[in-house]
Amino acid sequence: MSGLDTARIATSPDERRTRRPRIGSDAWTVIGLFAVTIVMILASRLISPSFGSWDQARAILVLTSFVMVIAFGQQSVILLGGLDLSVGSMMTLGGILTFSWIGGSGSALIWGIPAVLLVTGLVGAVNGLGVTFFRVPPFIMTLAMGIIIYSVALGITGGTPSGQAVPALGWLFSHRLFGIPWVILLMALFAVLGTIFQQATPFGRRLYAIGTSPEAAAIAGMPVRRIVILTYAISGAAAGLAGILMVGYSGGATLTMGDSYLLPSIAAVVIGGTSIVGGRGLYAGAIAGAFLLTTLSTVISSIGIAQGWRTIIYGLVILVALVLLREELSLWFLRLRSRGGR
Amino acid sequence: MSGADPQAIRLHVEGLAKAYGATVALRQVTLDLRQGEVHALLGENGAGKSTLVKILSGIVTPDQGNLLLDGGAYRPGSLMEARRAGISTAFQELSLLPNLTVATNLLLPTLIKGAGGLAATRRNQERAAEILAEFDAADISPRTLVSDLSLAQKQRLEIVRALSHRPRVLILDEPTAALAEPEWLFRLIARITAAGDVSILYISHRLAEVRRLCQRGTVLRNGESIGTVSLAGTLDADIFRMMVGTSPEGHQPGQTAGTQSDAAPAIAVRGLTGRTITDVGFTLRQGEILGVAALEGQGQRELLRILAGAVAPLSGTIEIEGHALRAATPAAALSAGIGFVPEERKTEGIFLTLGTAANISFPILNRLRRFGLINRSRERTAVQGEAARVELAPRYLDMRIGALSGGNQQKALIARVLLSGARNLVLFDPTRGVDVGTKQVIYGVIRDFVAAGGSVLIYSTELAELVQLVHRCLVLYQGRVMGELSGAAMTEERLVSLATGHGEQERAAA
Amino acid sequence: MSATGTLPVARRPGGASTRRLLANGTFNVFVVYVLLFVILMIKQPDTLSAFGVTDLFNNALPLALAAAGGGLVVLTRGFDLSVAGVIALTNVLIATALPDGPWGAVLAVAIAGGAGLVVGAVNGYLVAYVRLQSIASTLATMIVCSGVALLVLDAPGGQVPDAVVYGFSGVLPGNVPVSAVVALVVVLLWLALRRTDWGVAIYAIGADETAAALAGIPVRRAKFFTYCLAGILYGFAGLMLSAVTATGNPNGGTTYLLLMFAAIAIGGTAFSGGRGGVIGSMIGAATLTLLQKVLFSAGVSSFYTGIFQGLVMILAVVIGAITARLAEGRAR
Repeated sequence: MSGLDTARIATSPDERRTRRPRIGSDAWTVIGLFAVTIVMILASRLISPSFGSWDQARAILVLTSFVMVIAFGQQSVILLGGLDLSVGSMMTLGGILTFSWIGGSGSALIWGIPAVLLVTGLVGAVNGLGVTFFRVPPFIMTLAMGIIIYSVALGITGGTPSGQAVPALGWLFSHRLFGIPWVILLMALFAVLGTIFQQATPFGRRLYAIGTSPEAAAIAGMPVRRIVILTYAISGAAAGLAGILMVGYSGGATLTMGDSYLLPSIAAVVIGGTSIVGGRGLYAGAIAGAFLLTTLSTVISSIGIAQGWRTIIYGLVILVALVLLREELSLWFLRLRSRGGR
Repeated sequence: MSGADPQAIRLHVEGLAKAYGATVALRQVTLDLRQGEVHALLGENGAGKSTLVKILSGIVTPDQGNLLLDGGAYRPGSLMEARRAGISTAFQELSLLPNLTVATNLLLPTLIKGAGGLAATRRNQERAAEILAEFDAADISPRTLVSDLSLAQKQRLEIVRALSHRPRVLILDEPTAALAEPEWLFRLIARITAAGDVSILYISHRLAEVRRLCQRGTVLRNGESIGTVSLAGTLDADIFRMMVGTSPEGHQPGQTAGTQSDAAPAIAVRGLTGRTITDVGFTLRQGEILGVAALEGQGQRELLRILAGAVAPLSGTIEIEGHALRAATPAAALSAGIGFVPEERKTEGIFLTLGTAANISFPILNRLRRFGLINRSRERTAVQGEAARVELAPRYLDMRIGALSGGNQQKALIARVLLSGARNLVLFDPTRGVDVGTKQVIYGVIRDFVAAGGSVLIYSTELAELVQLVHRCLVLYQGRVMGELSGAAMTEERLVSLATGHGEQERAAA
Repeated sequence: MSATGTLPVARRPGGASTRRLLANGTFNVFVVYVLLFVILMIKQPDTLSAFGVTDLFNNALPLALAAAGGGLVVLTRGFDLSVAGVIALTNVLIATALPDGPWGAVLAVAIAGGAGLVVGAVNGYLVAYVRLQSIASTLATMIVCSGVALLVLDAPGGQVPDAVVYGFSGVLPGNVPVSAVVALVVVLLWLALRRTDWGVAIYAIGADETAAALAGIPVRRAKFFTYCLAGILYGFAGLMLSAVTATGNPNGGTTYLLLMFAAIAIGGTAFSGGRGGVIGSMIGAATLTLLQKVLFSAGVSSFYTGIFQGLVMILAVVIGAITARLAEGRAR
């Protein structure tokens, strides 16, 4: 009623009455998002019969892969209570390096991909170092690094990256297994591995712990600095991986290839239910958010209306998603189901 | 008592109920607060005291129930409405803004304006100084930033601010928890109840002080008001029974068994110097409970945190079971066998969004791995074992730890420390803000721990607790060890004497 | 000796207020600005000419106004990304919808302030009353605003009326740049705001929102007010941008997004809320734009400007943190 976060003022609820629900509010958010997206795809049939088809769904899933990969790193960092604003530049860097180091030669893939991931991971680790050892706020550190990386890339390439396409990477997008492009299968595996990493490994649990309370994590003996640096490194590498994939998809690299992925990565994570202050949220949510956003922009851009309207609708849908999928709403939904134990 | 009719009822609370979704905070609360009365509100953590305070302060609306203030309906829609109606609260979690001055904090939300409608700094400070002087807090300067005040000064400021609104009903929620000198508050209360007809609702865990200040008290349990009693005519045991619902026999303080003076040293400290401590030395033996008594801010926080590895000392040596503790990291302390339970469980101890079992299993997380993943069933078994040791019911293990009461959260922290296999416990005020039942459980755990050969270093702000629990007690004053008391010489009076710097005769006697 | 068995506390020494000056972010960034200015004067002696000074103010003011608005929001512990959208929107509106003549300038002010206010009000409502996370909801409003900007003008073009261009990027009698006057007015208004209940409320909310509410501050209203004010400032930033570039660009706001936060950080406003201020943010913005000029005059390829900007940002924050800790003295 007064807008206060009343829970903060020491109240201990009657414990006998509160049971941890089987499907938490986080999971309901994910389910809700996927449901909305599927409804959107089906509803797009109304716009044109060629919509809502498997072909379109496939295309959307392929497009989702980039945001999804970046969102893994972004979500991990946000879980820690941080933020990575350098992912756009990092993706560009990954793409440029792939283009010039691996381009044209299939055999270079074997050392090339790990090399690119290593480089982008190391740059990400620099973010982590700045945040932990120099206590620079993540917003500033990653913002600055993003500007610096972009500038370095600009200076090195002189404005136009040189290299060649990588056929092996393009193969991922063009070839299919049982009608499903290989890249989608790869992404499904990535999603599973990512979720397992966060939910079922000691590292993942410590991630949540540090995001909830860094002081308590330090006192409990966790190597907080190491974990933070590693997480930012993971974010850098994930963005680099997205750049690698993009080279495969588009056959080239440009200086702005990563720019349009920064804000969607944040949007996907936040819509997916991860709190910006850290400590809670699921990667599955970020995936669902990425899926929703990509579907939205695909459907919208196929509608024959002015660019301005398309942008407006995109923004409005994000807003609606945010309002509907607030934590309070999913908690309310949960309470509805558990009512009866008064 | 002038002008106050002792029988007239100032605040009438009837049938109050409040639920947050499936969680029932208040079920059925009824109580009367008379004019000019100091009325105690008693109950364990989780009994509903905080919710009641929030409702009376206007922060939360009840689902059901009736409130009458001096006979008129009282339905505050906001904190300010409650204040205008005459109810003012000094909150347990202080409501001061650290980045603003004392003067600003006192006069919020409406500062005194001068020319052009802008805040007149000097007049605000003068007004603040008046208020501070009026309520016996003139040592606090209006110009100081609140972040520069000590915890005790902040608590006093919170109370003074509540009083400055000249309420008809003053609610004090654990007002002495951080107070240096409770006498200050008692004098104030005596003054305002004698002068006017302010009624006070006094919430505190400390029965001795409650008895001193209050005539009547209402006991809450599980969101219900169990009854209102006249404190003078009710025994502690009966109050306890009302609060907890069981008889106190199973919760007697008990006696700590003796210890062997030739046991091996567990923690040996020599010449430890830090930013707030100087040349601290002591030896804690296996099987021993060593207490630390000190005024607020005398170095005990740094001392314990150095032992826990959270802070590096400037000089000195620490030996754990004969081996020097080199690295000043919590991980090093852990592997040396130290288990630390920190001061603030909410910010330094628990992980609010994780489950209770997950909170407890951190020390052995790496050992629970199978193919790199956490083995949930092994985790469950390990955690349940320790949970049983601290009498933490298994059903709590699945819940988010944020849903547990303060006492249960503390038990979980202790379970975590025990699970780590620590042989030397370092505890910072482990029973602060913890209900009576849980306190007894914690004492039992500590005693069992040392009986099995472990050692415990415990700092507590409750001297009575130290006296009946520990074998020996160190006293810190201004960062130095003022003295050490044991056996019959270890009395509350002597401890206070040492802690306030009157050392000579005590050191001679010890 | 108390019967309750608790212990009295010893007095703690008070903090030293003289060291606060060094820890003051505004002071620090001002020093940096002066240093850079000196360097520029050495490289480019005509900096102090009437034209040079006007040029400096004109180039810095759009970012400075944006940083002023964004800084207000950061003080309350929020993030306002909508600055990019509002600037683009007001820019294209001014470049397309205004008549020539003196009324054009007046109308420009109204449009800038009005559009900014509307967007700010929406943001404020979403963050304060609907309780969305500020970074997410302002991201959405930013996107919507840029969409509207695209509807008004779908490609760079348009024509900003002369009255606006000369009125706001020109000089007043006595060679005083209009933009300097605008900056001064904003600074004065801020100094006044700080001493109102709203100003105190902003700092309180940033430090501890719950405590602020318990102290009786109308938190939601104050937050709403903050976002509205920020929106108006963004609007005026767009107005100044239009005056300086004399053309409309629906995508012209995006550079301001990251630079604004850089300016706020360099200016000493803490992202954890409750510390810093508008003046520091504005000087931070001026410093960033000055940095670009200095680098250019030093012959640094524009490719590498970004590196310097990034490094300066990091350095500024690190130095700020160090000086802040020095001022704290001995912490517990």
